[in-house]
Amino acid sequence: MFNPATLEERRIYYREEWDIKQVPDFIVNSVENREFGFDHFGRGPNDRYKVFNTPEYLKRFMKSKTPFAAYCSVAFYEKPRKRDGWIKSELVFDVDAKDIPIRTCNCENVCEICLREAKEIISSIIDTLKGDLGLNNIHLVYSGRGYHIRVLDEDVMEMDSDVRSHILKYVVGADLPKDKYDDSDGIYNLEHFSIPFGYPKVFTERVKYAINHLTQDSKLDDVNAKLLKDVLTNRNLLDRDEWGLFKTKIGPLRYKKVVKAITSLNMGLVDAKVSIDLKRILRLPSSLHSKVSMRCMEVKNIDAFDPFKEAVPKFVWERK
Amino acid sequence: MSFINPLSDEGKRIVMEDGGNLDRIYDENSQLIDIVYSISAQETSDDAFIPKNYSDLVIKRVEWFIEKKSDPDYKHKKYAYLFHREITKMDTIAFYILCQAIGVKFGPNSRESRAVVELQGQIIENRLEELLISERTEITQKILNNLIVQDKIKWTQLADLVSSKKISLQELVLKDGNVILDREEFMEHFGEIIKKTNRPPEKMYDVFIGNRIKELIIIKMIMQNTENYIKSVHERVKIIEPNPILLKIADKVSEVLSKEMRYYGGVSGGGTVKASPLNVDLFPPCIKSALEGIKSGGRNEVIVLFLTPFLSYARLNPSVFRSNATLKVSDVDPDLKITKNEILPMIYDAADRCSPPLFDDQPQEKININAKLGFGMHDDLNPQHEGETTWYTPMSCEKVKLQMPALCRPDETCKSIGNPLSYYTRKIWQNKSNK
Repeated sequence: MFNPATLEERRIYYREEWDIKQVPDFIVNSVENREFGFDHFGRGPNDRYKVFNTPEYLKRFMKSKTPFAAYCSVAFYEKPRKRDGWIKSELVFDVDAKDIPIRTCNCENVCEICLREAKEIISSIIDTLKGDLGLNNIHLVYSGRGYHIRVLDEDVMEMDSDVRSHILKYVVGADLPKDKYDDSDGIYNLEHFSIPFGYPKVFTERVKYAINHLTQDSKLDDVNAKLLKDVLTNRNLLDRDEWGLFKTKIGPLRYKKVVKAITSLNMGLVDAKVSIDLKRILRLPSSLHSKVSMRCMEVKNIDAFDPFKEAVPKFVWERK
Repeated sequence: MSFINPLSDEGKRIVMEDGGNLDRIYDENSQLIDIVYSISAQETSDDAFIPKNYSDLVIKRVEWFIEKKSDPDYKHKKYAYLFHREITKMDTIAFYILCQAIGVKFGPNSRESRAVVELQGQIIENRLEELLISERTEITQKILNNLIVQDKIKWTQLADLVSSKKISLQELVLKDGNVILDREEFMEHFGEIIKKTNRPPEKMYDVFIGNRIKELIIIKMIMQNTENYIKSVHERVKIIEPNPILLKIADKVSEVLSKEMRYYGGVSGGGTVKASPLNVDLFPPCIKSALEGIKSGGRNEVIVLFLTPFLSYARLNPSVFRSNATLKVSDVDPDLKITKNEILPMIYDAADRCSPPLFDDQPQEKININAKLGFGMHDDLNPQHEGETTWYTPMSCEKVKLQMPALCRPDETCKSIGNPLSYYTRKIWQNKSNK
């Protein structure tokens, strides 16, 4: 597994295993408004600006060209052949298992552990998108080496890059919540972990996840080996949500350092460029990720999904 | 209502009833003068403190904003009338004259427009502060109902405010996509879980939402509507010849603003800096780091999208964000000698320091660099091709943080700037001032 697919294997995949019905409806239903792009030789998607007016044309193309990789735009255009007349774009979050800044595995590429961790991150982002931001038209795609969340709620699809970057920072916990609040009676200092709603709650969950996934080799800005060690020693307190005690053990100033470092680390959980780019192309669900010989596919049930069972093409099992 | 929101129906009615005759804006307005003199808190010792007509009132509004912002000896008594409801009618008309003047002359993206929008936000905030608490609550709710028609506010309705950074998502209490503003709704969603933290939920509501968030939303929405109004006026200028009186007022407003531009420019820092040889010591940490080359992913973005615009603007047009004028590279460097002998070599050196060196495996990026300087997708910098692409302006700190977080290691100066180029111009300015 994870070995590149040969030309012959790609042919077998597209001609025997791949079916146009595996392309999700959210793409098929808008196929004529999307730009398609292909990588035929494994050097990046340089065959772009392709348009298919019906799924049937796409089917014929895939079966005959058996591309190294296939992509389609997150944007809907009036004239997709020219990438002109931008109408709207899906809101996308891309979590690549090999790029997660805190992985408990030490693998070179991807493995079961980091793919599982990518899934955990994705699940928490989806929870926030639904619970806080009220978004519902959310599709999850296993990309072959991680996951894409693709949001098609009409309200957000017309939003610009700036709003998208705010959403991104909200869902990953990349902004430090303020700790001073005031009302007519005075000023209050409230730590993020003592506020069980809104952004502070999201942030607290993200900090907890990060601390629970740190290893002795983790690199955090401005956090030295001694401080990292103290965090690891005391992190069991967070399992019981004893944040106050954890902060006391670490020391308030050092706690601030840790939280600040996690805030910037969280920014790396998702590839921000993908989220703010309104004209991005993303791997086509159902297509083959030839670098790792895995299928890119829509995931209907995140809890039950196991990429090592469902995203492995038949030809991989038949390899000698 | 229009004292807080001049763009309300009431405000529009005031302007309609007035008839909108601009020829009268220099006529002495005895009603206005009488009202100002009748306000006991108003300083009347100097005649210059008293607005005599609509034109004066427009300018006084701008003066107040600038003085409050930058004058350590700011005297509130000079402008007390701005916070008394008796002037509502005149103030509303002055607001429209001000927005129209800025709209016809400078447009929505100008420094003047930004100042007027900020001014309006500040004036509303201060007017609300002058009200009694009960009155403040009532007016806030009334204006909010007027601005937002539905029962529930979805955060997506505030997207314009989020986009323009007038409000942040993190400040809002969100549940299922709705912005929680109502006390009962807050209790219903969060009352029980707050009780578990041994804090009184009512108090948490007052601290997190109370009037504060409602006021923030109405202030920001009115600011956004003011910006939209200036934009709509600007668009109309394309089909209707602007009234010369408005142009004159706009010049006067600009003059008042430019007097204090150094303060007003605040966050971008420094005065106008002319093209001059680059001083690497004054570069921000992110640029210094990019010059050392990129050892991991993202080489193309750092060299082509980040370093190229920064070095070219820092060398040739460092004050691009202060001036409204759009320049081409050849406007400053006609024979392109500086670009070829100073700027490109620095970019190429940084590209060579990348691991692996950028041009070894991606030589086409040299063409992309030319494109980002405005010379189209060509192998060399040929003046004939200039304009085929846009000379990219340096990306903001916000974008750097998002797209290349590894580069962003802020120092003290970074805290008060929003663009690496502003860091550089500020440092040059400080350097010069120290000498």
